[in-house]
Amino acid sequence: MPHSLSAQDVTTPGGLLLVLAILIPFIGMLIGFVFGGGKAMRVALATLAVGLAIVIAIAKALVQSGDAVIYILGGWMPPLGVALRADGLSVVMLLAIAVVICGIGVYARADFGSPSGVKEARAPLTFWLLLLAVWGSLNLVFVSGDLFTLYVALELLTFAAVPLVSLDGRSETVRSALRYLLYALLGSVLYLLGAVLLYGVYGTLDIPLLAMRVRPEPVAWAALALMISGLLAKTALFPLHLWLPPAHAGAPAAASAVLSGLVIKGSWFLAVRLWFDVFAGVVTLPSAQTLGTLGAAAILVGNVVALRQTRLKLLIAYSTVAQIGYLFLMFPLATGLSSAGLDSAVAVNGGMLQAISHAMAKAAMFMAAGLIYTTLGHDRVADLRGMTSTLPMTVLAFALAGASLIGLPPSGGFLAKWLLISAAITTLQWWWALLMLVGGLLTSVYVFIVVVRSLAPAHDGWKPKLPVPRYQQAAVLALALCSFLLGAAVLCPLDVMQIGRTVSRNTLLP
Amino acid sequence: MNGPTLFGLCAAALIGFGLYGLIVNPQPLRKIIGFNIIGSGVFLLFGTIARRGAAAGMGGDPVPQALLITGIVVAFSATALAVALLLRLFDEGGVVTLVSEASPTEAKADPPDA
Amino acid sequence: MTTSGLLIATAIGTPFAMLLACLIPAFRKRMPPLLGLAPIPALAAALLADDTLLMFGNAQFKLAFAMDKPGTMLLTVAAILWIASGFYATTWLRNTGHAGSFVVCWLMTLTGCVGVFLAADLLGFYFLLAVLSVGASGLVLQGGTSKALRASAVYLGVALLAEAFLLAGLVMLAWVMPHGSLLIRDAAAAISTSPWRDLTLALLVVGLGMKAGLVPLHFWMPLAYDAAPMPASAVMSGAVVKASALALIRFLPFDAALPEFGLPLAAIGFFGAFYGVVIGLTQSKPKLILAYSSVSQMGFLVAVIGMGLAVGDSGSALAACFYAAHHLLAKGALFLAVGVFATTGRHRLWLVLLPAAVLALGIGGLPLTGGAMAKLAVKPIMGDGFVGLLANLSAIGTTMLMLHFISRLVTSTASIPSTSAPVCLASPWLLMFIAAIALPWTLYPMTGIGIWSYALQPEILWAASWPILIGIMPMFVLWRWRKALPQMPEGDLIVIGERALRKVITWGDGLEWAEGWLRRWPVATMMLLALAVFFGETLIGWR
Repeated sequence: MPHSLSAQDVTTPGGLLLVLAILIPFIGMLIGFVFGGGKAMRVALATLAVGLAIVIAIAKALVQSGDAVIYILGGWMPPLGVALRADGLSVVMLLAIAVVICGIGVYARADFGSPSGVKEARAPLTFWLLLLAVWGSLNLVFVSGDLFTLYVALELLTFAAVPLVSLDGRSETVRSALRYLLYALLGSVLYLLGAVLLYGVYGTLDIPLLAMRVRPEPVAWAALALMISGLLAKTALFPLHLWLPPAHAGAPAAASAVLSGLVIKGSWFLAVRLWFDVFAGVVTLPSAQTLGTLGAAAILVGNVVALRQTRLKLLIAYSTVAQIGYLFLMFPLATGLSSAGLDSAVAVNGGMLQAISHAMAKAAMFMAAGLIYTTLGHDRVADLRGMTSTLPMTVLAFALAGASLIGLPPSGGFLAKWLLISAAITTLQWWWALLMLVGGLLTSVYVFIVVVRSLAPAHDGWKPKLPVPRYQQAAVLALALCSFLLGAAVLCPLDVMQIGRTVSRNTLLP
Repeated sequence: MNGPTLFGLCAAALIGFGLYGLIVNPQPLRKIIGFNIIGSGVFLLFGTIARRGAAAGMGGDPVPQALLITGIVVAFSATALAVALLLRLFDEGGVVTLVSEASPTEAKADPPDA
Repeated sequence: MTTSGLLIATAIGTPFAMLLACLIPAFRKRMPPLLGLAPIPALAAALLADDTLLMFGNAQFKLAFAMDKPGTMLLTVAAILWIASGFYATTWLRNTGHAGSFVVCWLMTLTGCVGVFLAADLLGFYFLLAVLSVGASGLVLQGGTSKALRASAVYLGVALLAEAFLLAGLVMLAWVMPHGSLLIRDAAAAISTSPWRDLTLALLVVGLGMKAGLVPLHFWMPLAYDAAPMPASAVMSGAVVKASALALIRFLPFDAALPEFGLPLAAIGFFGAFYGVVIGLTQSKPKLILAYSSVSQMGFLVAVIGMGLAVGDSGSALAACFYAAHHLLAKGALFLAVGVFATTGRHRLWLVLLPAAVLALGIGGLPLTGGAMAKLAVKPIMGDGFVGLLANLSAIGTTMLMLHFISRLVTSTASIPSTSAPVCLASPWLLMFIAAIALPWTLYPMTGIGIWSYALQPEILWAASWPILIGIMPMFVLWRWRKALPQMPEGDLIVIGERALRKVITWGDGLEWAEGWLRRWPVATMMLLALAVFFGETLIGWR
């Protein structure tokens, strides 16, 4: 085995940054909680800035060393101790999530600023604290190198996300939140059961150690099946998406952006980790095809149901159901590549790009819908008259985000599609390519409908219900632009995503 | 039948009961309890696994015990959150059910004006 | 960067910079008078730049732009059309309120159009084609009517569908390119050696054919050209649709004879050429007749390309390009003529009618016009046999359609007999007229297709004349019995398509119900457990 423990398991320069990336959001949350009231927002925004700087520093450390950034907690080596690791995949996700969170933070300043004259309002305080909690737990998901830590991180993520659904406290939204929580708990208990089984046989939950020890045998099969299904439930992959549309129906725009853009990426990322880094020798092509098939069903059903929605927010929510399907197409493609003895990096990069570009585009879309709601007082798709003249930047942002979802160049969605389709053609799995193209067409229909409806001139004498601050529009547009221009990542001289993954790639090829 | 097998079977039975309750019972509180029973089953299984370390000459594998305690804390907080939501739901409507009156896609889901 | 590189960069950069400037409302308001100037760098580049490759990017990935021979020819004439239509649009915009969105769409389409003509790598080409499609569908939308909305939706839908095919084709193409190159100039060679040659070619041809308006996917064309504002129709029918023809010319491997591809392509093209004439004859709006003539002419152009591919004649690319260049000029000028006509009274009619008639009949191949030169250029490819006969028949058909167009044009004059078109509307049109007459004569010898003295031989002139004379005769009959002709709905086949779509939408009911059922708690939880079991099964069973 080329994998040498001594080289893997020492804290690398910059390792401490990983700890900070996790701790800073939680510290910010505690400080915000202690000070409370109107100060929570300022604390949160300051934390966002600091956190973004830390994430950038991690990325720099990764690129400079050309290898994964590692921190061994307390100097205790795995399997007894716990390590934090950030390889290319983690760092790319850390960066993308940080950008999206900052965008959401700027946007939410207007919606969740403390109203003047009120000492402490529940919804704003909760929102800011939970935003930081979501971020901290996501960072933990991306950098922890241990399956049990990942379980805790996922649970934290769920606990932070559930109350976001019911910020307004109406019974309908509380019910959605409860459904979400119970379903997610069922998912995580399955995951935990799988992790327990793995520990029972292999005596460790550390990812690199486990990757070396795991063999294709019944316990590993059972564990993988339980863990992946649990994660699918949390990711809301069709047909396990019962919680997603209702959760979005009543949540505020910024919370929807967090849920749809970020939270589901946590459990998805963990599935990717398990699939490619832990169980690379266990997974089979048919199991990957099963994931792909569910993704395909998600794309078709999600897009068609999205087309039939009358409310903009639910339209976007079902679009998320469809887009989650795209995220799972990388599994059959990458597994097909590696089982043919080829480098699976093309498909993995494509899937990651899809996730990142979706995170940005979907957050932008939900926030655009929120601005439209503020202006109109409703979000019926059939009656978006006058939006282009009132909120030109917002409609532009919606269109750009839509273009990214459709996969028009130069968006990140396009580059992802290009990579995934090349992988599909290389592995002769042309049906996935076909599906991606059909999904793009269906997506284009509802994006077109929304944009065209908003182009219609407003009735005479119509006035916006509430004015929308310019910086909110700018934040939405900035996120949409990030997603739209993400295709320029092709100019990146270095395959950042694959840094520090060579070890696990070697395990793919005997 | 030796000890670990018995405990393992008990764990499996607990998980089964819990799943049944979680899936079939319409009352949210029973669902929460169902979840806790599943959790207990999983923890029991983990404990059994830790006990096996003793067979290897150690006084029991310490890692699962540490993880177990963490897991119980997590499950406890999950239960607390769920119960809090449930109470809130009861305060709002007086009726506690997970099935919404209308399908969420057409519900009167416009949030009240802020 | 060399001078040529600089020229190419400014050609694309100028409209793009103007597009970006439109983000600021103050600039957007001042933009309309500049529309006619935006394409001037493109014209300069077409006239002055040599075939250097302009690259942006790094070792891993480059965006490349270059000026090849077909590109030069088409860009020259397209730039002239864009300039003329731009000035026309400036005048047209004075009377409309929503100039802002028109200008944005216009500049976007222009950027895409110039870009596609110049793009030399696959990704850049695909990107700019998407810009072009989105911009053009926006231009159609500017018609402002509900008809325009439908037309724009259909246009965008077809364009995106076409681009989906194209994307699949391009990815397959990129896979076989040597040394990871993405340059279009290597594409033709790569296709002919590719193991997936047939599939790649089929995907490319279907994708580009849809965008070129091949029957049966032509229905977007009449809808869009009718609904779009006049200057937009002119550039779309002239320049925009040629982008896909140019792409066909660039991608198809003309060096190797591929009769199994070329002949079916030619057959589809000819079918479109006649189909356009037949449906066009049943129409009564001048714009619609021109649109169907475009369907017919694009069909003919594809037939030329198909024949060239079938025999492996590398010269046919240039000839097809020349044909396209003439059609671009003439069709653009005719669309502008329709606009000028609508503002001209009966008293000064002949001033406009005569040039329009010359241009219209020129498309049919009237001797001494550019159309005759174009027909002459493609004649060697068509040969004298059956295909040559088809070509002549299509010329007869086009003549009939154009006569029909002129007869309908006469009835669409302004209501006050003494009005004359404003100078700023008439002069762009006049510019286009002169270009459409003079440029083919200049390009003909310059591109090395032939020489004047050959084109002026009496037997050549006669060969061009008799289809016109034959075409005139049935028109007398048709005019006499016009009322008996069935009226085809515009966009003919789309009506069937929309019916099918409605059916699909009703199926959505069932799907939505099923989706709601799946979201019920017991179902979803059981699904989760069942999935876990099934997933385990896939890991064990199929090992």
